[in-house]
Amino acid sequence: MIKNYCELSIEQLHDLLVKKEVTPLMLAQQAIALAKLDKSNAIEYLMEKEALEFAKTLSEPEVDNMLWGIPFIIKDNFSTKNVPTCASSNVLSGYVPVYDATVIRKLKEKKAVAICKTTLDELAMGGTGITGHLGVTFNPHDKTHSRLVGGSSCGSAALTAAGVVPFALGSDTGDSVRKPASYAGLVGFKPTWSRISRFGLFPFAPSLDTVGFFTRNVADLSYLLEATAGRDDNDSTSSSRLVDNYHDQINKPVKGFKVAVINQILQVIKDQDIKNSFTKTIEDLRQKGVVVDYVDMDMSILSSLYPTYFVISCAEATSNNANLDGIKFGPYYDAKSYEEVMMNARTKGFSKFIKRRFVFGSFALMSENQNDLFIRAQKNRRRIVEAVNKILENYDFIYLPAAPSIAPKFTDKSDALSDEYLIADNHLCIGNFTGLPSLTLPIGKKDGMPFGANITGRAFEEGKVMQICSAIEETTGLKGLYAKGE
Amino acid sequence: MEFEPVIGLEIHVELKTNSKMFSNAPVCYGKEPNTQIAPLDMAFPGTMPTVNKNAVIFAIRVCNALHMNIDKEIHFDRKNYFYSDLPKGYQITQNLRPIGSNGYLEIEIDGKTKKIGIERLHMEEDTCKQIHFNDFTLLNYNRAGTPLIEIVSRPELRNGEEAMKYVEMIRSIVVYSDVSDGKMEEGSLRCDVNISLKPVGQKEFGTKVEIKNINSISYIQKAVDFEIERQTKLLLAGEKIVQETRRYDSNKNETILMRVKTDAVDYKYFPEDNITPIVLSDEFVEAAINSCPELAESKKYRYINQFGLNNYDASLLISDKDVSTYFDELTKFTKHYKLAANWLNVDVASYCNKNFITINAFPVCPKSLSELIELVAKNDINSNQAREVFASMIKDNISAIEAKEKLGISSQISDSDFVMNIINEVLKENPQAIVDFKEGKGRALGFLIGQVMKKSQGKVNPKLTNDLLLEELKKR
Amino acid sequence: MKAYNKEILQDAAHRLLFDMSNDEYDTLVNEFDIIIKQMNVIGSNSSIDNYEPMIFPFECNTTFLREDIAAEPLTREEALRNANHKAGGQIKLPKVVQ
Repeated sequence: MIKNYCELSIEQLHDLLVKKEVTPLMLAQQAIALAKLDKSNAIEYLMEKEALEFAKTLSEPEVDNMLWGIPFIIKDNFSTKNVPTCASSNVLSGYVPVYDATVIRKLKEKKAVAICKTTLDELAMGGTGITGHLGVTFNPHDKTHSRLVGGSSCGSAALTAAGVVPFALGSDTGDSVRKPASYAGLVGFKPTWSRISRFGLFPFAPSLDTVGFFTRNVADLSYLLEATAGRDDNDSTSSSRLVDNYHDQINKPVKGFKVAVINQILQVIKDQDIKNSFTKTIEDLRQKGVVVDYVDMDMSILSSLYPTYFVISCAEATSNNANLDGIKFGPYYDAKSYEEVMMNARTKGFSKFIKRRFVFGSFALMSENQNDLFIRAQKNRRRIVEAVNKILENYDFIYLPAAPSIAPKFTDKSDALSDEYLIADNHLCIGNFTGLPSLTLPIGKKDGMPFGANITGRAFEEGKVMQICSAIEETTGLKGLYAKGE
Repeated sequence: MEFEPVIGLEIHVELKTNSKMFSNAPVCYGKEPNTQIAPLDMAFPGTMPTVNKNAVIFAIRVCNALHMNIDKEIHFDRKNYFYSDLPKGYQITQNLRPIGSNGYLEIEIDGKTKKIGIERLHMEEDTCKQIHFNDFTLLNYNRAGTPLIEIVSRPELRNGEEAMKYVEMIRSIVVYSDVSDGKMEEGSLRCDVNISLKPVGQKEFGTKVEIKNINSISYIQKAVDFEIERQTKLLLAGEKIVQETRRYDSNKNETILMRVKTDAVDYKYFPEDNITPIVLSDEFVEAAINSCPELAESKKYRYINQFGLNNYDASLLISDKDVSTYFDELTKFTKHYKLAANWLNVDVASYCNKNFITINAFPVCPKSLSELIELVAKNDINSNQAREVFASMIKDNISAIEAKEKLGISSQISDSDFVMNIINEVLKENPQAIVDFKEGKGRALGFLIGQVMKKSQGKVNPKLTNDLLLEELKKR
Repeated sequence: MKAYNKEILQDAAHRLLFDMSNDEYDTLVNEFDIIIKQMNVIGSNSSIDNYEPMIFPFECNTTFLREDIAAEPLTREEALRNANHKAGGQIKLPKVVQ
């Protein structure tokens, strides 16, 4: 049997590349072969020709460049020059961007090799991985294909979890990297808002959007963040703070760190196995000298998370997607008037899921409704952020189970009004409201399915977040987890 | 019943920056369609706006000229609506916090100064250009994203003349502050007029009619006056004014209905989420203000009070920024300001008009023209000769001195003794003329001067001759 | 706040230049019921209006302004290659009636 190199970590592959035991071309070929075999419906566009051509140009290993020759995959809402990009929406079928997103440019400059564009919930608006125009993306840990992988970064999560590549690009507006990471047993990370340039990321809700990554271990993340963070004049919201040397921080002792667990969120989680594994990681952290306290948060703030997120994200989204009209790009349907042309493109191009969100977002922005919906949500956002920051005055991190369950089955119904759904299933959006760095990593398995926990740290303290997560990772035995093929 | 017109103006000014408001595509007119575009200008997904520094500087200059409060924190909002010329489906503009607020400008009506309040000035971006054909429309995105400022007056104008003066003044300010071409004909300055009528003494405004896209300053007055008359007639006939948008037809000199305004459009404004607030330092704002070239009013004041020009000449010079720039250059080489203004306002202006050129294409440079002016000032040549020299300078592309030589004009003789000798000769030969002069026959003096000129072959200085002759005649 | 019903939401959809099937509007009304109720709960907290609306996740004022230097624009081919209805180097639409 041929060894699957792509299941290895970036660090391990780098080692092999430097020793010339493998070449970038071999890795690209293997990743492409695995992607072709993959059954999770995770691919929008296979960059076979582009990847092989590029990999062939990489001959002399760069010892100091951890990403040299490493294959990776890209969520299909990043603009990739001359490579079709449709954000899993028919409204963008056939669209071939004329420019590269900044994060794509930076990874290219590091000579990482892009293998494919991956599926997402249409235009990144969704958390299930079932609303893209190619249909459902499956969870590779469930060979019966009855469980979702989560979204919106479903394709990136599925292929990374299947061991096709060591890392993937995603984007996170509510929990679109960190939730699927929990369902797929991956490390999923969003940095501080403004830390990585969003230029070229198709906007969903810019005040919440961040570029994110999937890896199979925490250390790999440090290289990716170092390579992609930093000021970009194309994104005037991007931060000019210097980029830290994250990797140096990872293995430092965590003794004395203070971690807060929010009682009210933990309480609404019913799954005892998840709770037990979570408690076990807390005991392990305490063993390492970390202070872990259970703190309270106002229940009314927690129940307001979801509606606040829904209002703000839908409102911003309806405006951000107003450029999709079939005139400049995307399928054009002729008609008698320009309104009809646009109406045709949008009616045929958008699925019902996001149309409903657009209508809601637009309603929330109407002048007579703004005060009661959009502006109220913005006010409540501040209330939420102040409550969270208050906790972080005394603690370095907030630590919680990332989701209340393992990946749900497609047939499962969730009660949209239950606390478990409203709070435990949606609390990760705290990281987007506050813009704080937030990382999900696997802490256990149930019925063969992984589940994760989430650490959120202070603004621009990504290194510290990785440091504590690395400490948790040491104790779970799930570092490098991936779903082995049949 | 008597009605009082209430008129407010919204003026859009295209800024002449190098690059666009939010992208680094060039701002360039007259290029091939769709060749001046950055990805943002066609709203390609994932593109993000970045604010043009010069656009902000230009906006500050105009705010300052209009005595406005300048917001030192720049905020942008989105104005959401769908239209074929709007690539993003929204326009980035400043709704809640315009960079400039609460200013005024002064216009002169019948020699009196009237202050017109200005509500706001904000920055925004232009749409793409549509060219309409019989059965289709073509879109050219070169214009999309060009920086604009919009200046909104308070409804304090009362008639066409005031409206026209107001626009003239705004135009002068944006042109002199070097932020725009200010060409209404080419669309770099666009004017929408809101007009309503109310019975004199009534507080509430009447129904507002908008006149869009008037493309020449002279039409503003005509359009406004026509519209006032139209509405007055309707109201006197007991009819209602409909809230509508009209346009001005210059051939018929009337306003024509474009569309009736149905329910007001809800633009669903909200803060632009891709541009964080931009804080301007005091130094930045100060530097922006100080970078503003001298405005017309200040020049006019200087021309009158420093150079001793009359109001008419000064006004004429500043009516065209390029002419005033030429004049400023001219005054570096000659101190004969009045004479210089005259040459510019009369001879140079007439040459340019005849040849359909602007002062920028006038072939004689200020330094060269100043040499001609010096010759005239010194009485070295008379005015007729000066015109010949002027024509030759242009035609033969030579200096004033060279032209004078080429035309064989010898310098006027200003040697008093020499002139006196000729005068004495002439008086000796024409005793009857002396008698006539003494009897008060005015023609006699002219006759005698003519004789002196003839004898000297036109070389003596006429003014000197006149003075000396009068003196001599008095003695006799 | 404006009242909502199927007709109003249909009008809102049309103003966004798309249509949905009839059933979708029913689903939408149900979704509205839930979210509006939740937003009303947030509004019932008397302290909510003491909070300034939050636009960005944290204080992130900048002094950055882009230098006014024009860069090489897209070629016309690049600019128009994704447009599917064009003529003579321009995008073509049915006549836009002003």
